[in-house]
Amino acid sequence: MRKLTASCLLIYGVLGLFCPGVAVTVPNHFRAVVNSNRDGAIAPDDVLTLREAIALVNGELKLDQLSAAEQAQVELLQFNENPPITAIPPTQQIDFDLPKGQTVIRLTSLLPALTQPGLLINGTSQPGYDSRRSAIAEGEIPVPIVQITPAEGIEISRGLTIVADEVHIQGLSLYGFTARPRSTLLTPPADIFIAHRQPPPDVGKQQPPANFSPFYPDDLPPRNVVIEWNWLGIRPDQTLPTPTSAFGVSVFNGQETIIRQNYIAHHDGSAIISSVRADNLRIIDNVVVGNGIAGMPDAIRLEGMVDQSRIIHNLICGNDGSAVYLFKTEGSVQIQGNRMTYNGRRLRRAAVFLMGTGHQVTENQISHQTGPGVVVAASPRSDRNLILQNQFVRLEGLSIDLITGNQAGVSEYQRGDGPNPPRNRRNRRLDTGNAAINAPKLTRVAFSTLDGEPKPAITPIQIFGTADPGAEVEFYQVTENSSAYGPLSQPLSRTTTNPEGRFTTTLDNLPPGTWLSAIATQPDFGTSEPARNIQIPLPTGETAAAIVPTPQPELPRCVTSPLPPQPPEALPPPKVPIRLQVPQNIHFALDRDTLSPASAAVLDLIAQVLRDHPTIVIAIEGHTDPRASDAYNLDLGARRAKAARNYLLRRGIAPERMTIRSLGERQPITPGSSRLDYARDRRVEFTFQDARNLEVIIQATDLQLEPAKGVRE
Amino acid sequence: MKSPTWLAGSIFLLLLNLSPWKSGLAQTPPPGGTTNTIPNRATANFRSTPGGTLQNTNSNAVQVIANVGQAELEMIKTGDRAAAEPGDTVVYRLLVKNIGTATVKNIVVKDTLPLGLQFQPKSVKGSLTTGSTTTEVTLPQAATNGKEILFTYPSLAGGESLTIVYAATLTPDAIRGNGRNLAIPTGTGPSGLPIVGNTASYQLQIRPGILSDCGTIVGRVFVDKNFDGEQQPGEPGVPNAVIFMDDGNRITTDANGLFSLAYVLSGYRTGTLDLTSLSGYALAPNLYRIEANSQSRLVKLAPGGLARMNFAVTPAFQEEGR
Repeated sequence: MRKLTASCLLIYGVLGLFCPGVAVTVPNHFRAVVNSNRDGAIAPDDVLTLREAIALVNGELKLDQLSAAEQAQVELLQFNENPPITAIPPTQQIDFDLPKGQTVIRLTSLLPALTQPGLLINGTSQPGYDSRRSAIAEGEIPVPIVQITPAEGIEISRGLTIVADEVHIQGLSLYGFTARPRSTLLTPPADIFIAHRQPPPDVGKQQPPANFSPFYPDDLPPRNVVIEWNWLGIRPDQTLPTPTSAFGVSVFNGQETIIRQNYIAHHDGSAIISSVRADNLRIIDNVVVGNGIAGMPDAIRLEGMVDQSRIIHNLICGNDGSAVYLFKTEGSVQIQGNRMTYNGRRLRRAAVFLMGTGHQVTENQISHQTGPGVVVAASPRSDRNLILQNQFVRLEGLSIDLITGNQAGVSEYQRGDGPNPPRNRRNRRLDTGNAAINAPKLTRVAFSTLDGEPKPAITPIQIFGTADPGAEVEFYQVTENSSAYGPLSQPLSRTTTNPEGRFTTTLDNLPPGTWLSAIATQPDFGTSEPARNIQIPLPTGETAAAIVPTPQPELPRCVTSPLPPQPPEALPPPKVPIRLQVPQNIHFALDRDTLSPASAAVLDLIAQVLRDHPTIVIAIEGHTDPRASDAYNLDLGARRAKAARNYLLRRGIAPERMTIRSLGERQPITPGSSRLDYARDRRVEFTFQDARNLEVIIQATDLQLEPAKGVRE
Repeated sequence: MKSPTWLAGSIFLLLLNLSPWKSGLAQTPPPGGTTNTIPNRATANFRSTPGGTLQNTNSNAVQVIANVGQAELEMIKTGDRAAAEPGDTVVYRLLVKNIGTATVKNIVVKDTLPLGLQFQPKSVKGSLTTGSTTTEVTLPQAATNGKEILFTYPSLAGGESLTIVYAATLTPDAIRGNGRNLAIPTGTGPSGLPIVGNTASYQLQIRPGILSDCGTIVGRVFVDKNFDGEQQPGEPGVPNAVIFMDDGNRITTDANGLFSLAYVLSGYRTGTLDLTSLSGYALAPNLYRIEANSQSRLVKLAPGGLARMNFAVTPAFQEEGR
């Protein structure tokens, strides 16, 4: 209070005003220690619950309304005489001291919104919390102890709702916050929801908004909210909760939000999603795994005003759609140093999809995607996107794909459109991503002649080529032969084209037979698609296979346990065959996408096989019988595949090991039209990949015949 | 049962041979048309007893008078416009020409108007063209019988042509019809036999005009961030969303989330948002209007009118309502 008074005097004093009623409006500063995991109506009883603590710091509950036992848990915060105004300590604090074994707070209703600026909810204060013990090797993310989740059978759409500045949430585990879909969805549910006061909207208090502005001037976004060291959507024992959470952090309307070192996993929708404003959002050092399993598939989905946001050093793995999708955003985003791998499990999307201008995608490692690497949209117009120094491994598509010709179809907004022809008219600048900057053309590779001695072991090579005049060309080594254009495996060096558009450079230490590609970048336009690969000439008599290194196969897994410290797991030698007796498909009832007990038993067998053989990845394909329309059956097949996949997720199979797709009615098992044939057609097929020499039995123990009704037996 | 011929026993065969003695009918008539006389006689032969000798008998000669001059009517029908809307007046022009040589009398032109066109009796005008001179003639009052109009004219000599001009007004009923009318001339030839000319038709394109049945539906699919069902700045459109109309039309939104559908039949039209086309989005709640909390929109589309179908969506955590 003293501190606020001091700052008030400072601010208003400078402005020559007097302080308006400080003592009346500003509540006391509390440090409340929650000592019970109970929840329910606020009552003066023997323990302080989280709901009571929030009501107290919000000022909705007066200190003298608490019982003596509860008051003992509350401490009035005192500030130093001369606090530096710039460094604001938490003015309110909620700590935890839950009894051992009672660390799960099961909420019976929605918690009140956090309305006090400067509030710290500190899960790290719980005794036993070890900030140095990380549960996974991929990031320093300590395991939280305090868990907040809805009580069984109770639907709560949001965990914590933050409507004030400077709120810190630390060291909590929040999961299970979702809503049952009605005829429409609800306003956004999330584990942590950040928005202006009265999150959207309280129609009892607000008139319909004006046409020119969706919000009111007093709908101020909270600033400087910090979310760190939390586990969202996943239990501390790394299992899936029931139900799964809807969204992780929904930055609906918030400025300068920091999301740091969280483990965000297994959400039905995105792990992090923005809506109205999320400028200066910092997403740093998070582990984002297996999100988007039932709704918005992208791990980090940004919409709205996101200027100067940064997505740095995250691990984004095993999500159902893109790792980062910028949907019609305003402002530029920096995506740097992330590891994006095994994404696009359900929808084959680009790892990074960019719409808008001035984004920077640098130093990321993008691997094992079911789509291209980085796609730049044509519509809305997107240019000046710099995509530099990234590494791409095992993609299904181009490393960098610029949409051309103003294409705006379904696949262009997911998978890109493949290599573009060279720019043939000025108008291409207007209808192509990154203003249709041409991919460089590598025309010739020659061994450079050396004057000096001693001669190096590998002769340096000289590359000649053409690109747009004034462009900077970045060369890449290509270590896969999956495509004629890249993938851009390893950045090498850069050079600049001359005014005629020609360039040449000398590269050292590249053995003969190495494949090379390049991209061109102009700051006014952006980065190009990769050049067609070119190979360093082989000495006569040698074959490329002996020289070009093949990338080491790796275990498909997102996170690994750091304890005990162990050497990287060696893959089983590929020569040894794996023999399996495993069912290959499950069957469904007519027009249904739910699993029967027999199908579930089959899936349990498959799950056991996957647990036994960590090298196996599976593709799950949904099929239907040939009745009903094509479009309907494609959707039904997708739902069946999703149902099977989500069952396996619940059985503990990592999302990065499964991809799903729907084939609808296109591949019936038999051409027949009897009830039995149709029942065989209604299936989900499992294709076991990387499992060499796999023996497969065809099972039909879960066939579900439709009732006989006018169809031939 | 025995035939009466058998019973009579006397006549076994009767051959009647009727032949013109002078053949002149097939010949081109002389210019100006002349009257020819064709004598005609019949011959019969018979046996009086079975196996008896054949006997002949001749009839008297009959003179047939043939008018060899030809009369033939030709008709052309035109209108002053190719397309019309209800409320317009169309001026039709009928040209009846006797392309033969003989005079045709008692000419009656039967004109069947299309549905919904109303004949204006006072507008009828006639003119007669003989050679290169055209004179106005007064036509008798046209008789009407439902959609049929009967114009009469006393006679038309060979080579003469009669022009009948009349007007008809399009009533709102016209849009139900096909716009085609038919006219056919009849008359009496020089021999007193009826002559029928060709059927002339004229196709009028009838546009609905202010009575248009069709309207336009416009709409948008967008991410609603304040849950009021209206698109405001900062609420982007969703591309490639699919809307199905009640008649099965499938509409996709453009890159800005907009769509429009022209020539929609008026009435109550329903459009439904296909949620499976929106990967990652589902219907947004509308907290201000209950009606907008639906996957489908019912609009009352006035003829020639414009209706709007806006769909608000929000990032989905459960797709397709499951």
